[in-house]
Amino acid sequence: MGREVAESCVDGVIIEMVSAYCKRFYGTKPELAARRIEAIGYQVGHQLIERYTMERPRFSDHLEAIKFICKDFWSELFKKQIDNLKTNHRGTFVLQDNRFQWLTHISIDPSSDNSEATEDPSVSMPENKAAEATSTHLYFPCGIIRGALSNLGIPCAVSADISNLPACSFVVRVKA
Amino acid sequence: MQFFSGSSAVDISPSPAAPPGTATGLSGNNANMLYIFNRSGVCLLYREWHRPLRTLDASQDQKLMFGLLFSLRSFTAKMDPTSVDKGNLGVPLLPGQGCSFYSFRTNTYKLSFMESPSGIKLILITHPNTSDHQESLKHMYNLYVEYVVKNPLYVPGTPIKSELFNTNLDQYVKTLI
Repeated sequence: MGREVAESCVDGVIIEMVSAYCKRFYGTKPELAARRIEAIGYQVGHQLIERYTMERPRFSDHLEAIKFICKDFWSELFKKQIDNLKTNHRGTFVLQDNRFQWLTHISIDPSSDNSEATEDPSVSMPENKAAEATSTHLYFPCGIIRGALSNLGIPCAVSADISNLPACSFVVRVKA
Repeated sequence: MQFFSGSSAVDISPSPAAPPGTATGLSGNNANMLYIFNRSGVCLLYREWHRPLRTLDASQDQKLMFGLLFSLRSFTAKMDPTSVDKGNLGVPLLPGQGCSFYSFRTNTYKLSFMESPSGIKLILITHPNTSDHQESLKHMYNLYVEYVVKNPLYVPGTPIKSELFNTNLDQYVKTLI
């Protein structure tokens, strides 16, 4: 019924979108670029969840909806499920993916920290820049999760945490 | 890798390039060096695992290597007895034109070459008794596509500085015969 597109084309479009927004459209204002990318993700998540929950009954509570996101939604998008879900039962959920598909090809420059002095402030610079560059690629999936949940009736805020590539965690805070 | 013959690098006659087991750093490596050039001659990657003698400084060495392969390709295409259209000797060849040059071998080393349709040239220098490396070069080109081309942080045309690529390449080279 649907038409098919090669996965590397989709990956390429997303990479170019992030790069275009960060460098060309809002080159001097990275926060605005982040908000625009997250808004695009919101729209995409909104529409995708509509498509994937067409035949299902309504979700009984927030936990069921989050579990749907972890299992079925994630496997539709990335062909795998979320590896670990943690919650504090008070509106905060942590979704951990041990090998997030869009981060598998990102790799930083290993030799850039050799040229700096051994003092701490200058060594942390190249790592910070790499971490910043990587985090710009996570606004889009955060937006997708936020859009999906808000269309299920759960307003929330989503942020990402990349302490060790290629694993990353998405922290969902439901707004009461 | 079952398709490489098992007897290639095991019995080694003494030669100026020391046998693979005694390489400093990564032991058991059979590859000596690897160059990757793009279409305009920029050296994207130069890795060496075992190189006892360095005669030129790095940039001259890379220019020499690029020029050598450029001329060799042109020369072998013009000398091809099976091709119909020869053209002039001085005209630069496009990536698919002419027969493809594979490798040359001397008593101390063997140089294997592969060029992708996009003009990326891979040059692998190994011990002379190794078998054909076209498959290994194709595998390395796949690694390049996965970890360099698809890396959002990579700017095409600049030297490759990706940790993932280097690690995977080193691991793969260890398995070469």
